[in-house]
Amino acid sequence: MRPLASRILAAAVLAVVSWLMLAAATTPRILQPDKLIILSTTDAKGKTSPCG
Amino acid sequence: MHAQFGQVLLVDAGGFFPELPNQHDVAWFMMDAMKLLGTDAVGVGERDLKYGLAWLKSQQKRTGLMIVSANLLDKKSGKPVFEPYTIKKVGNVKVGIFGLISDKVDLGPARDSLVAQDPLVAAKKAVADLRKSGATVIVLLSQLGKVESEDLVTVVTGVDAVITGRNIPLIQKGRLIKNTVVAYGGEQGQYVGRTMFTIDAKGKPLSGENDMFILSPEVGEKPEVLALVKSFEDAFNEKMRKSQMEQDAQKQIKSEESPERFLGAELCVRCHAEEGEQWKTTSHSVAWQTLVNAKKDATQECIGCHSVGYQQPGGFMSQTATPHLSNVQCENCHGIGTQHEAFATTPHRITEQVCITCHKGDNDPEWNWEKKLPRIAHSNFSGETIKNMKNKMGGETGMIKSGGSR
Repeated sequence: MRPLASRILAAAVLAVVSWLMLAAATTPRILQPDKLIILSTTDAKGKTSPCG
Repeated sequence: MHAQFGQVLLVDAGGFFPELPNQHDVAWFMMDAMKLLGTDAVGVGERDLKYGLAWLKSQQKRTGLMIVSANLLDKKSGKPVFEPYTIKKVGNVKVGIFGLISDKVDLGPARDSLVAQDPLVAAKKAVADLRKSGATVIVLLSQLGKVESEDLVTVVTGVDAVITGRNIPLIQKGRLIKNTVVAYGGEQGQYVGRTMFTIDAKGKPLSGENDMFILSPEVGEKPEVLALVKSFEDAFNEKMRKSQMEQDAQKQIKSEESPERFLGAELCVRCHAEEGEQWKTTSHSVAWQTLVNAKKDATQECIGCHSVGYQQPGGFMSQTATPHLSNVQCENCHGIGTQHEAFATTPHRITEQVCITCHKGDNDPEWNWEKKLPRIAHSNFSGETIKNMKNKMGGETGMIKSGGSR
């Protein structure tokens, strides 16, 4: 049987690895970190689609 | 865009409420749609205050949209009625976004309790506050109009981009004024602006540029937004149709009292048969059906360009009440039929101006007079038609008299 300290250490390592994997999965990848894009619209005036 | 670049923000400079009164349904829907699209911040303009501040704020609370305005203040307390600015962390960049409304516009039903502070004063304070809070890129959502927006960024330093709104002409390529990228126009959801900054390791802009892109069918739709729009439009069209039917009877009385009225193509073609045949080959002759297909046949802002004389005395009211005036017909281009006798002495020449009452940029951004004219133009057949009739009748042409026969 492993000592309690090493079991705690193993659990902590597992938790950190899991957190890192989760963070990597949820954080959007910055493909071009030197670029910032601002998409903009203005004066939509209630128009939802063309008339026809 | 997200897939290509990663660090992307979506903003709207304001003016999103409809132009027509009493269209609260459309107004709240616009806010729902912006939220669904993931809009990060929204400016506020004169149009957005037309249903009252309390109503706008209730919709903001419901949708959770971030509305920013640094100079729209409560008159009594002097405090901003919306957040003056917001800071968005986008990847490695902290973007500060603030809004400004013109101090020369009507502030709607709540005008007595509101004041629009001098935009210059508010802008200087907002920029200073944002820099202090760590923003490395600052964006202004402006409802000041073109000239005032340009003037402001020549005086106020530190604004990296301004999205200009309020009667802005479309300019495909944004301009650089001092160190500010200025984006122009793109009304009614026809265009989207893309302002691209190259930034350094600390998130500060090194250079920037702006382009406007037309949202043509090739761009594609987000399925959940498309479904939401369709469901809303169908329900709204139906609601408008019912309301219109209730108003028809009253309008009919007024219409009959009018000495001038639209007659419809059916009457014109009695003499102008060949022009009528040519017209039948054009999309003008089936313009009403395109509205029906799009379920926009009760949408006021659409009807005018798909019928004859809408909202004019003796003009189109609804498909039920005035079916002979649906579609784009002779009188849309040539003038009201009961004034036909005057045409001989004052010919009504068809110019580009006649067409762009409907085929204007916000309705038909890709329309081109020279390319489209041949599709609808007909030769002056009527001269021959009338001459032949004269010969047959041995004199008078049988011109339609005022009042017509309908």
